[in-house]
Amino acid sequence: MNPFITPVMLGQVIISGLLAGSLYAMVALGLGLIFGVMRVLNIAHGPLLMLGAYVTFWLFSTVGLNPYLSLLVSMPLLYLLGMLLQRFLVRRVVDAPELSSLLLTFGVSIALVNVAQLAFTSDLRAVEYLTGSFVLGPFAFSKSRVIACAIAIAITVSAFLFLQKTRLGKAIRAVSQSREVAQVCGINVGRIHMIAFGLASALAAAGGSLVAVMVAIQPEMGQVYTFKSFLVIVLGGAGNYPGALLGGLLLGLIEQVSSLFLTTQVNEAVAYILLVLVLLVRPTGLLGGRAS
Amino acid sequence: MRRLGLAALAALAVVALALYPLEGTGYGVRVMLQLFMWIALAQSWNLISGLTGYVSFGHVAFYGMGAYSTAIVIVRLGWPWLPAALLGGAMAMVLALVIGWPCLRLKGPYFAIAMLGLNEVLRVAASYFEGLTGGGLGLSLPTLHASVPIYYAMGLTAAGVTLLTYVILTSRFGLRLMTIREDEVAAEAMGIDTHRYKLYAFLLSAVAPGIVGGLSARDQGYIEPISVFPLLMTITMIVMVLFGGKGTIWGPVLGAVLLFTFQELVWARFIYLHQLLFGAIIVTVVLLMPRGILGVLQQKYNLPRTI
Amino acid sequence: MPPILEVTNLTKRFGGVTAVNRVSLSLDAGRIYGLIGPNGSGKTTLFNCITGLVRRDAGEVRFKRRRIDGLKPHQVFHHGIGRTFQVIRVFPELTALENLMVVTTGDHARACRRAGELLRFVKIESLAGEYAGNLSYGQQKLLEFIRVLMTDPELILLDEPAAGVNRTLLNELLDAVRALRDRGKTILLVEHDMKVVMGLCETVFVLDHGEKLAEGPPGVIQSDERVIEAYFGR
Repeated sequence: MNPFITPVMLGQVIISGLLAGSLYAMVALGLGLIFGVMRVLNIAHGPLLMLGAYVTFWLFSTVGLNPYLSLLVSMPLLYLLGMLLQRFLVRRVVDAPELSSLLLTFGVSIALVNVAQLAFTSDLRAVEYLTGSFVLGPFAFSKSRVIACAIAIAITVSAFLFLQKTRLGKAIRAVSQSREVAQVCGINVGRIHMIAFGLASALAAAGGSLVAVMVAIQPEMGQVYTFKSFLVIVLGGAGNYPGALLGGLLLGLIEQVSSLFLTTQVNEAVAYILLVLVLLVRPTGLLGGRAS
Repeated sequence: MRRLGLAALAALAVVALALYPLEGTGYGVRVMLQLFMWIALAQSWNLISGLTGYVSFGHVAFYGMGAYSTAIVIVRLGWPWLPAALLGGAMAMVLALVIGWPCLRLKGPYFAIAMLGLNEVLRVAASYFEGLTGGGLGLSLPTLHASVPIYYAMGLTAAGVTLLTYVILTSRFGLRLMTIREDEVAAEAMGIDTHRYKLYAFLLSAVAPGIVGGLSARDQGYIEPISVFPLLMTITMIVMVLFGGKGTIWGPVLGAVLLFTFQELVWARFIYLHQLLFGAIIVTVVLLMPRGILGVLQQKYNLPRTI
Repeated sequence: MPPILEVTNLTKRFGGVTAVNRVSLSLDAGRIYGLIGPNGSGKTTLFNCITGLVRRDAGEVRFKRRRIDGLKPHQVFHHGIGRTFQVIRVFPELTALENLMVVTTGDHARACRRAGELLRFVKIESLAGEYAGNLSYGQQKLLEFIRVLMTDPELILLDEPAAGVNRTLLNELLDAVRALRDRGKTILLVEHDMKVVMGLCETVFVLDHGEKLAEGPPGVIQSDERVIEAYFGR
């Protein structure tokens, strides 16, 4: 609780909220892509982010690679892993009831966490790269967060342009609107599913590489991002890709602003209560998405 | 004749289980007690999700609610453990009413996410209300050696839910619950008040988890938020039901026995690979036998649903 | 005799599209009515509004003088309106008999008897114990039809009963519908097969783009210029 909230503090949290929100938006866009295209809620999304963080950590600690350059490794690697997951596992539950896909991706999720534990142990790891803050008037921003935000925005915008403008992107959106129609139009739906899962995993990896510089890395760091991404796509409306962006920013803002009033612990619950409330009041998302 | 044989076998099993604590070791009794707990949990999840198809992805919330209610009245009010555990069941039912009334309107994955989220809310609430729950430090219950009576209470709960499942599955009430799973819109159009039926099933599915939550809190003597609200526990009950055969009577029991035995015998040896193995089991069950053991047998030999 | 069903200025919009636009109909008891119109003219939406599956935006629905708009589908059903669906919606993992049994509550033995009668009525009594999902298309169609009759509703809405049904089965179905009418039931059916509509219905409503275009006996409707235009274009 903080009874003394000054305008400067408020400004600071709003900016911090937007910085964090841009990352959420990017990561959640991936989850939303999978949900939109094949109605699968991927619980392994967070653990894929965790793998991305470990790629960055590993490259940084072994060959001293710049963490931001490691995006160029983590994203393609996870793109590949995502394609493989889709090809061999998720493909087989796309048309099954939601229970199958939830369980399957949960199974993948704990297996990935275990693999990370075996490879890197459960110790907390850190990439000590960019510390310190930019100071602008009364406000201070941690350098790593500002850069992460900038990169996240760049990646999100590219992903978005890709979906809007390119042939492949249009095909992906076509499949998420109606698989039958897309099929009739000669789109190879299986291939689109693989690409979508790959892209989504790459977006998670980007999130992982960026947060690697900011937070402690450990095998179970991912789960919370799965939940947050759920929340973002619920806020934005399932299957509504611009909605995911706004939902991400909104989540960042809400979390930061409520942190002025609430303890960290309760703050965690705010996101979940919000999730349930939004589902109950507007199941199609605040910005309106496709009805279930 | 076959029916008689089965009944005799069942009676024999019941007698053996009832006499077990007289001969068994303390460790053995504790293990069996946990098995009963898993049977009760799996069977309860089957009642809501196996029958209506609504995936309760936070079912452990009722277990946690029962555990906390029981522990609180034992520690703060000095209640004996049996009424305390029964209160746990009642509180879980109240929680189910509060959650179910609004949330059972949500469809498909949205209901699953909401349940997942609510379980997290409860976990946070358990750490927040420190005066009542002891917060993150948890609650320690006064020492009491009651494993044997708790063994019986747990066994009775497991048997009770199984009996309840039998009664429901052989009634028109149960058939109506299944119409929700089969085609909710058609069920509504055929005059079935689906929301009310879902809520009934949800309430019934919350009682036993509440009671066993209370019993295991008493048995373990200590609870904390992360130990009674883990997502992994929800997943474990689901996998047990899926493995045994969802929507059947004995499927959840079979699944619980097999998975629990496997856990006790095999996992203990591979502690570092625990999650990887469990993940592999989940993936295998989902991909290779989504109908479960009894579901496959049922289809193959055209058995009734009431196996 | 007041009309059994009275729909007044019923309107339903989906986003910017007005699926049903100020439609009014009035049905008298003991008659067979047809509802026709090109694809997308709002027939099924009108059914869904009457039965409560879709919430109307404006207008009134009265059944035996009582307002039923705004009620839930199961409540509408208990007022005495039964319906079938365009795409078959039996409960596949319930047996044929169970599909019927779930419709009623109350006395078990009586429900069983009723179900047996109905299964014999459409001659599928030998399939009572079979899972509905294993029945043929035609058998499922019959099952869905008799499922509506379990509670003996006064108004029965049939959404394309003839679609995908072979001649023999169709004739049985049509006879059954006439038999129901003779027992005082009211039937409203959506149908594309004009032969069925013309041979069965006493009054036909025509919908086009969500609006009621015409209403009258089949013979008159058939030669109505506006109807021909709606179906075949200018």
